[in-house]
Amino acid sequence: MKPDTVVNFDVALIERAQKGDAKAFERLYREHVGRVHGLCLRMTRNPDTAADCVQDAFIKAWKALPRFEARASFSTWLHRIAVNTVLEKRRGPAKAEIPVEDPGEYEEPTMVFDTPVEEEELEAAIESLPQGARDALVLCGLYGYEHQEAASMLGIAVGTCKAQLHRARGLLKDRLERGVR
Amino acid sequence: MTTRRVKGIGELPRDIPPARDLWPKIAEAIQADLSMKAVPDTRRRTGWWPAVGLAASVALVAVGVFIGKNFKPDEAQTLAGTQTLAPAADGGDSGMVKASLREAAYQKQRDQLWKEVQVKLNSMPPAEREKVGKSLATLKKSIQEIHDALGHDPANALLQELLVTTSQEEMRVLTTVRDSGRQEL
Repeated sequence: MKPDTVVNFDVALIERAQKGDAKAFERLYREHVGRVHGLCLRMTRNPDTAADCVQDAFIKAWKALPRFEARASFSTWLHRIAVNTVLEKRRGPAKAEIPVEDPGEYEEPTMVFDTPVEEEELEAAIESLPQGARDALVLCGLYGYEHQEAASMLGIAVGTCKAQLHRARGLLKDRLERGVR
Repeated sequence: MTTRRVKGIGELPRDIPPARDLWPKIAEAIQADLSMKAVPDTRRRTGWWPAVGLAASVALVAVGVFIGKNFKPDEAQTLAGTQTLAPAADGGDSGMVKASLREAAYQKQRDQLWKEVQVKLNSMPPAEREKVGKSLATLKKSIQEIHDALGHDPANALLQELLVTTSQEEMRVLTTVRDSGRQEL
């Protein structure tokens, strides 16, 4: 969670940007680009595609800004646009790759390892995951979105999101134990 | 080379700055968007001209179907072209005066035709009256909208041409509808 001062700072910039102030929007871009890029990069696994998605997402955000309601989270709104952009680039929403089981048992999105692993190794393991599982893991496990929110962004059922996350955790554990790829 | 060790996914950095500055392309798109918004309303509204033209065309086709049912081709042809709105060829002040006189004469004849057509419509069967009346109303509205648009953008050649064509068609259609029953009398 961001400190309140940052949120208030965002609100002032958003209001200015909504009135057509490109400088204010650039400051919003500078503040949020790292996180949006991180999300796009992990979802696309390709630096060029990720950069394209980031640019498209911010251009869409600029155009949609007059409709943005200040009481909503700008960061979440921006991420939603970014996820949509990635899905569009893939041509169609991610499809459920596994049947949905009882979602109740997959509620916990965080993942803690018994033994610390190298950051690079973990990133590589995430990158090697199947698309649907990776999307759920990135949004819920890494960016902290609730299943409901992540599922809505991805255009899938909440149960599917939970199942994909469960699958991602299993695959990730397995790959880290055996060494990635 | 070894990297930082982490105990969970949550410890991975969420912010990953892009390798290059992505802002210039975004700024370019924003500038284009701002420039488009800065264009005067009348220019941006050109998007609906095709819609006005289409509405007029649909109305003409609808009335045309009615005419086709009631007229022989040669009769329809003789009725066509009773009015022309071509601009004065000689130009200058005298051209403007002539154009004003022609405009007044056209307006008078148009009003008269509308009155006669209204009488004609009242004598038609309800279903037919509704159909023809609706189409004529659309035609009239389209002409009014073109007039309004020309008020905002008087130099627009496309609008001028559209007005002349649609007005000529309106006169032709009104004349045809007015005279549609005469052969049956």
